[in-house]
Amino acid sequence: MPVHAAGSRLYRSVPFKHLVKKAGSATGGSRATNIALNLTPFVDMMTILVTFLLMVFSSSGQLLQAQKGLELPMADSHDTLQQAPVIIVTKTEITYQGQLVATVDSVLRDDSPTFKIDALFERLDAAAKKIKEDVGMGKLPKNLAKACEDAKQNIRPQPGAICPDGLAILQADESTDARLINKIVNTAKAAGFDNLLFAVKNK
Amino acid sequence: MGASVGTGDKKSVNVELNIVPFIDLMSCLTAFLLVTAVWVNIAQINIQPKGKTRDTTNVQQDDEHVTLSVLVQADRIWVGLSRINQFQEIPKKGDQQDWERFENTLKENKASAFFADRTDIEVAAESTTQSPVEYQDIIHAMDVAVKVGFVDVGLTDPNGLAARPSL
Repeated sequence: MPVHAAGSRLYRSVPFKHLVKKAGSATGGSRATNIALNLTPFVDMMTILVTFLLMVFSSSGQLLQAQKGLELPMADSHDTLQQAPVIIVTKTEITYQGQLVATVDSVLRDDSPTFKIDALFERLDAAAKKIKEDVGMGKLPKNLAKACEDAKQNIRPQPGAICPDGLAILQADESTDARLINKIVNTAKAAGFDNLLFAVKNK
Repeated sequence: MGASVGTGDKKSVNVELNIVPFIDLMSCLTAFLLVTAVWVNIAQINIQPKGKTRDTTNVQQDDEHVTLSVLVQADRIWVGLSRINQFQEIPKKGDQQDWERFENTLKENKASAFFADRTDIEVAAESTTQSPVEYQDIIHAMDVAVKVGFVDVGLTDPNGLAARPSL
């Protein structure tokens, strides 16, 4: 590849001379070409932002998924949530672990004497058996294993460290009909989920 | 952070701090915290499904203890005591339930000899197509109960309440 003599540089025509002049006039010398950028406001802003973000930082992370059209009810409770199977009830549908189980209308129309949601029961039943198996085999963190031992002796668990055996989260919209909640609670109970965590928003 | 004193000139006393690593660290931290930030604080109310359901035939009734039962209806809340069958009706105030009176009622019951050393309560909601009860009202009732000191909240079917008002 032949080597050419250096020619005119790209963007050389863009006039930055006024900046150069200004910078030069600030220091008194006419040949100074350094442009001092004032970083103080930037550093101030960054510091404030980092401080704010560190204050709102939650080490527990987000256990629940945001759902379109789902507004959680408000409560004063500040107990932390823990990992468990999630039943989500939006204005139109019921999902379990992200999979559609039934629509709200069909469940409210159903007046069957069993008083439970069959599709949800099947899934919860399978999940309950698997969780029971895991608990039996000791596949649990130390604090949860202790919580399971305490539960056998009727000792009250600490919030956030409840035995996962029979534990599920209900994440329902605030305007959900109570009949639907009753059905879901009954279904969960029938499947072996005797401990339900109702997800709420802090006031 | 590095610092250079002067620029060789003996008269110069300016100290230049190298803030580039500081800005780098801040930028990384800001990006990380923004990505991992949780803006909505979610908590939980722990309940135990209990009482009689249409599915179960035998009801676990405790005849030795008086049970505090709460029935939430669309236009009122009932607070009842089993065995002595004493009920207190709390009608709706405006377009909302009278939560203040409900809380005071629970506080009175908590202070009574029956429940001074007990923390259990049962809550049910009676909803119909004509007069529906919203989930928010159940949560509010349970939240008040927990606040008053009844931390063992049992959610049941209206028919499963130990003390149910007969209308």
